[in-house]
Amino acid sequence: MADPRSRARSHRRPPKESFLGETIDVEATVEELRDALEGLRVEIRSRFPRSAVRRSDEVVDWESLYSAVRRRLGTFGMSERSGEVDEFGMDEVVLRRARPLLDLLYDHYFRVELHGIDHLPDTGPCLLVANRSGLLPYDGLMISHAVERHHPLHERPRFAVADWLVTLPFVQPYLARLGGVRSCRENAQRLLESKCFAVVFPEGVKGAAKVFRDRYQLQRFGRGGVVRLAIEMGVPLVPVGVVGGEEVHPILFKSTTAARLFGLPFLPITPTFPLMGPLGALPLPSKWVIRLGEPVALDYLDAEASSDELLIARLNENVRTDIQVLIDRGLRDRESVWS
Amino acid sequence: MSDVGAIAVTGLGGFIGRSIVDRLVADSPGLRIVGIDHRRPFRLDERVRFHAVDLTDPTADVRLAEVLHKERVDVLLHAAFRSAPRANLDLDHELETIGSIHVMNACAAAKIHRLVVASTTMAYGPWPDNPNFLSESHPLRAHPDAHNVCNRAQMEALLGDWKVRHPDTEVTVLRTCWIAGPVHQDAVSRYFARPVVPTLMGYDPLMQFVHEEDCLAAFERAVLESHPGIFNVVGSGVLPLSTLLRQAGKRILALPSPILYRMAYYPSQGQTGDSPAGFYDYLRYLWVADGRRGFDVFGEPLYTTREAWMSFISERRMRRYR
Repeated sequence: MADPRSRARSHRRPPKESFLGETIDVEATVEELRDALEGLRVEIRSRFPRSAVRRSDEVVDWESLYSAVRRRLGTFGMSERSGEVDEFGMDEVVLRRARPLLDLLYDHYFRVELHGIDHLPDTGPCLLVANRSGLLPYDGLMISHAVERHHPLHERPRFAVADWLVTLPFVQPYLARLGGVRSCRENAQRLLESKCFAVVFPEGVKGAAKVFRDRYQLQRFGRGGVVRLAIEMGVPLVPVGVVGGEEVHPILFKSTTAARLFGLPFLPITPTFPLMGPLGALPLPSKWVIRLGEPVALDYLDAEASSDELLIARLNENVRTDIQVLIDRGLRDRESVWS
Repeated sequence: MSDVGAIAVTGLGGFIGRSIVDRLVADSPGLRIVGIDHRRPFRLDERVRFHAVDLTDPTADVRLAEVLHKERVDVLLHAAFRSAPRANLDLDHELETIGSIHVMNACAAAKIHRLVVASTTMAYGPWPDNPNFLSESHPLRAHPDAHNVCNRAQMEALLGDWKVRHPDTEVTVLRTCWIAGPVHQDAVSRYFARPVVPTLMGYDPLMQFVHEEDCLAAFERAVLESHPGIFNVVGSGVLPLSTLLRQAGKRILALPSPILYRMAYYPSQGQTGDSPAGFYDYLRYLWVADGRRGFDVFGEPLYTTREAWMSFISERRMRRYR
């Protein structure tokens, strides 16, 4: 059906003779075309739900708003994922959506200061060995965010996540989408084989469970697994000292008897945690300094050295001392916890 | 083409047994194929020489050894396993574990050259302390509530002992992950075909599927060629469970684990004899297997996990186009 307005607007032209000699009614052709386009437009409009083409003057479409909210809530806010994950479950779309929040944490909340990014090798694989600070993996997130932003490769390192977090419902899927990987030897090995940067915390749960008065005192570094892995894989090992992370969740006491009920390694009592419920998971706004040290050169050792227990223990202790030195420097330089 | 003269297949009625026989009939004209099951399957090709042996029978080993000897079988594919758990746990145990012992004994008696066994990566078990990729050397810690999977793990342990005592026989174990494709049906595909799929609230593990083509191609090569050892047969890539269900256009009923396990208890007792944890824990923790060793031997899979899943859901018209 032709629109009467368009017919009125168009002024009639005489039929024109084409170069082939036959006459073409330009007017009629244009008319026909316009009709066809109009029909197509109506057809396309009817195929899409109304919310897809929302105009600014329209009132709020409660129906579509309700369905969108329901969809979001029904999938716990994870419906926007691309679904295309890499082999460790990291999702680019989730990362893109989380990046503003991470930037906010990095720039304004923790005000992270990064030193020595040039100590990182130009390309992976590389093991970043850091002190475990805080209960929740804010440290892993911040270190990988720092490396992603400031390293020329702009590649996001994977960070190791403690076992008990991997089993925690609601937390675990998000951590995996953001690049968290369960900390175990097989995973680290596979990450290094695929030329990734990997952030590991050899202190493990012992590091996370430090009470406040023991802060920034490195615990035992496992059984030297990190050093052994670096020697076997022939990858450089960069010590990382994080200062500020241990104040985000100051553990005043820890209870192990009550934790047994929930299957956790320990139950932390922080100034905010059991008192304020889930809000206790929010970190305190301490000032962070992430300091990367000189890479520990292990490439002069061949793979057989990994069976030399004494050597491994010695190197392990050296790495621990390196990180302790980085931490002590950071502690000496800062004026207060909050600035 | 190898020097294989005759191939016997146990579990002719199952998906792997039936499809492998079909492929061998189509691809290998000179091969003698012996089919073994407790009853003759519907529409069996006339080239397949069928023998009825009930593996739950106490004298099955003698009977099977006679058949293998008479037919001069070189290679045995043992695929007589349940595709879905039954309520009768004892019968499943008799068939899968004890029946496998009968098969091993018969192989030893008939001096079989090669034994190919169908196992499953579910035998690694879903555990919170699994690494992201389970290699073939990882210990088998099947979920104690999944009795079929426990039977396979027991069978593999027995097979490991048997292998040491019979070094002349090549043993190939293929551990397949969940199979997806247009034809294959088992408990898992029925679960995913439900209109409303119950899942565990707060968990979204990475899942892995292998397409039936890739799975069968690996089995065919393992039967015809010499590849001793244990291999994971999986598709490349992983996908989160929620993505799979969203692609299938399913309604997800996410329930906290105590409620889900209690709700699913009675129906599952009637159907499978297992408690629900035996299945739903596989949707809770990671149990993704590392397929690189299998890719090296049997070739890269034609289908990724996503493509296998797409082929499964588009065949069942579950896909929601939007």
